[in-house]
Amino acid sequence: MSDKKEPRIGVYVCHCGGNISGAVQCELVAKALKGLPNVTVTRTDESMCSDAGQSLIEQDIKELGIDRVVIGACAPMLHEQTFRGAVTRAGLNPFLYHHVGLREQDSWVHEHNKDAATEKALRLMSAGIAKARLLEPLDPIRLGAEKHALVIGGGVAGLRAALDIARQGLRVTLLEKSPFLGGRMAQLESVFPTEEDARKLLQDLIQKVVAHPNVTIFTQAEVTGVSGYVGNFEIQVQQHSRGVSDDNADTLMSACRQEVPNPFNYGLTKRKVIYRPYEGCYPSTPAVDWESYNGEPISFDGKQIILKDEPKSFGLNVGAVVVATGFDPYTPSQGEYGFGELPQVVTLPQLIRHLALSKDGKSLQWNGRAVRDVALIHCVGSRQVDGVHQPQEDGQVNNYCSRVCCTASLHATLELHKRYPQLNIYDLHQDIRTYGHGHEEYYRHALESGVRFVRYNGEEVPEVSAAPQGDSHPVLLKVKDMLTYGEELEIPVDLVVLAVGFMPRDLHGLDKMLKISRGNDRFLLEVHPKLRPVETAVNGVILAGTAQGPMNIQESLSAASAAAAKVASLLGRGKVELPPFVAAVDEEKCDGTGACVEACQYEDAIALQEFEENGRKVRRAVITPANCSGCGACVAVCPNNAINVQGWTLEQYEAMVDAIGMDMHELEVAA
Amino acid sequence: MTQSQQPKILILGTLSGGYAGADSTGQSHLEYPPNTYILPVMSPVMFPPEFYIRSFERGIDGIIVMYSGTDSPYKVEAEGTAKLINSAYALMKERGIDIRRLRLAAICTVCVKPFLKEVNQMNDLLKGIGFVKDELIARASAMEAAHG
Repeated sequence: MSDKKEPRIGVYVCHCGGNISGAVQCELVAKALKGLPNVTVTRTDESMCSDAGQSLIEQDIKELGIDRVVIGACAPMLHEQTFRGAVTRAGLNPFLYHHVGLREQDSWVHEHNKDAATEKALRLMSAGIAKARLLEPLDPIRLGAEKHALVIGGGVAGLRAALDIARQGLRVTLLEKSPFLGGRMAQLESVFPTEEDARKLLQDLIQKVVAHPNVTIFTQAEVTGVSGYVGNFEIQVQQHSRGVSDDNADTLMSACRQEVPNPFNYGLTKRKVIYRPYEGCYPSTPAVDWESYNGEPISFDGKQIILKDEPKSFGLNVGAVVVATGFDPYTPSQGEYGFGELPQVVTLPQLIRHLALSKDGKSLQWNGRAVRDVALIHCVGSRQVDGVHQPQEDGQVNNYCSRVCCTASLHATLELHKRYPQLNIYDLHQDIRTYGHGHEEYYRHALESGVRFVRYNGEEVPEVSAAPQGDSHPVLLKVKDMLTYGEELEIPVDLVVLAVGFMPRDLHGLDKMLKISRGNDRFLLEVHPKLRPVETAVNGVILAGTAQGPMNIQESLSAASAAAAKVASLLGRGKVELPPFVAAVDEEKCDGTGACVEACQYEDAIALQEFEENGRKVRRAVITPANCSGCGACVAVCPNNAINVQGWTLEQYEAMVDAIGMDMHELEVAA
Repeated sequence: MTQSQQPKILILGTLSGGYAGADSTGQSHLEYPPNTYILPVMSPVMFPPEFYIRSFERGIDGIIVMYSGTDSPYKVEAEGTAKLINSAYALMKERGIDIRRLRLAAICTVCVKPFLKEVNQMNDLLKGIGFVKDELIARASAMEAAHG
């Protein structure tokens, strides 16, 4: 005979101030449920989440010996934690409580059918009670945590995240793959909507990060291996040599003859393979571009020196990882809007660098020729349409909006107008999406400045071709203008600027090492944009900035601060507490088939181990809770039902299904 | 007709997909048939094919698995769930259960219209094909007849 104590269940039906009781006859539900097995008490209350409502539950636990609690109320997302708190305060394990959503999923969607809403509440609550009978006390997973975070990426998001984490008293190691900090923001001159100097803002941030005693920075450094779990990740890092030192850098740079297209200026200029990307960069010591260096000897002090990269490897032990790896601007394919075929077709990032490089002059020059007419085309590489645009490598088009390019284009347009007022500017767009605070002003100013807006249809994109010989302009644009009911326009221009979108970066296996997922758009995926923003499905791996999708600088900074707050709350106490909803093995049922190990996609979450029992060797699955995501892929494949996700077991679901499927008269009889 | 006399629809809604989508629908106060019962799940990849069969045998007439599809935070959810549902279809066929009674749908947290569409479609289907118990009885009778 089992000595297991029969559960004593307390059932509470909330009126939610009329929100539930307006459709559900709560008293009737409570009365009917009272007769179900193991239900000790049922109560209704105007507002269970109020102090009085919570006290009622606490009192029943203490005075009536209630050891399972079922509450029918608003969505669990809103008050599950509130009631867990109440249950805990009364001395009960917080996981011996089950929440049933009776508002969003019943009373609010069946307002005009009260009998049906009441019957549905009865069935849903019965299902909750059926689950509650099978609940077991659970303990959160508690792990020691290194008070040390790793931030991958030294762009504006990584820098902000590093500084915010450091200010919370945690140690931070910042890794940057390139030799210099700053990322994409360093390539900008001014930022919208404040029109501040981008470089100055960035330098202020870099100075604060560099000066903070809690931050250690490694440039030219990449992650080569990851193991462990939240609170205790072991990270392998490889750092390349800088190649030159402060003592010899400038001499070697002058003597170096090898030049390559300068990626900082998107190939518009050339630079040496020993380089600083811009004046005032950090670190100020030049670095060798090892990918481009051809091994040619360089004269120094009467000798011929061959530069050598001698990478060093080291390990880090960190509690959390912030991925701030940024984005790449979309590179149009050969011939897309004439790109790569017509020298007068450039991208918006190229135009921004071109404007930065040509501060003087009364007219905009391109390829030694004055530009009189310029056209910007929006949505290049964004909002692509199947069958119209060339798919990306994975066979899909970029159907997402890159969000930033509309304001960025208008920002550039106004800069062009300010510097070259005589310039004729055409803006070809699908829609203008100036969604941010102060962004619509750019559109208004552009209209007032005489910029001519043409609206094209995404399925009939503008055509860009070389103008016929002898034309006054080198390029001819053909576009159907939806603002004039499809009028076909021909616009001769000297320069075409493609407002390219954001592309997810090739992370060279970093995402695989960290076991984080990508979404349909190939950007890194957060668990949920509203419920768990910036978190990935891997505990302790947090996202910051444009690695997870198109964002402007303001949004990247907000995301970075959110990531830092998440890290600080995770590691601040030196230990982490995770929900207990992970797989657990029933030792009596497990006979070591290994099906679970095969089904699991999470490294080191589950393994087969050999044990000696009564003189014979047995194999069983063993879970490492910190590495388990709780998805349950192992549950479905176990032939012995020997594995379950704690708090969400198959048996509990079966019991809930039985309660839902039960004939109504069974409940009525019980009542 | 009370709800007991209506076919029952079970919705297995993921916390990061269908369950939250149902909450969004509720926040919009958009009505749908009340014979729908939504259970929250972490990921439907935990349900073996036999779970669906058992549910049909226990009086559930239609099941919609509302997950996050390829946007799931769990690595194996999309592919794994589709495989399990396919296996469930095979078992359903063996038992004479109309496979349209089980649907897999990608529903996001704010997918109000797709949520309503799925629920209404399943409800309309069940109005047409009726209770699962009738299919199970017909199958049992046929088997009995076949075995003399």
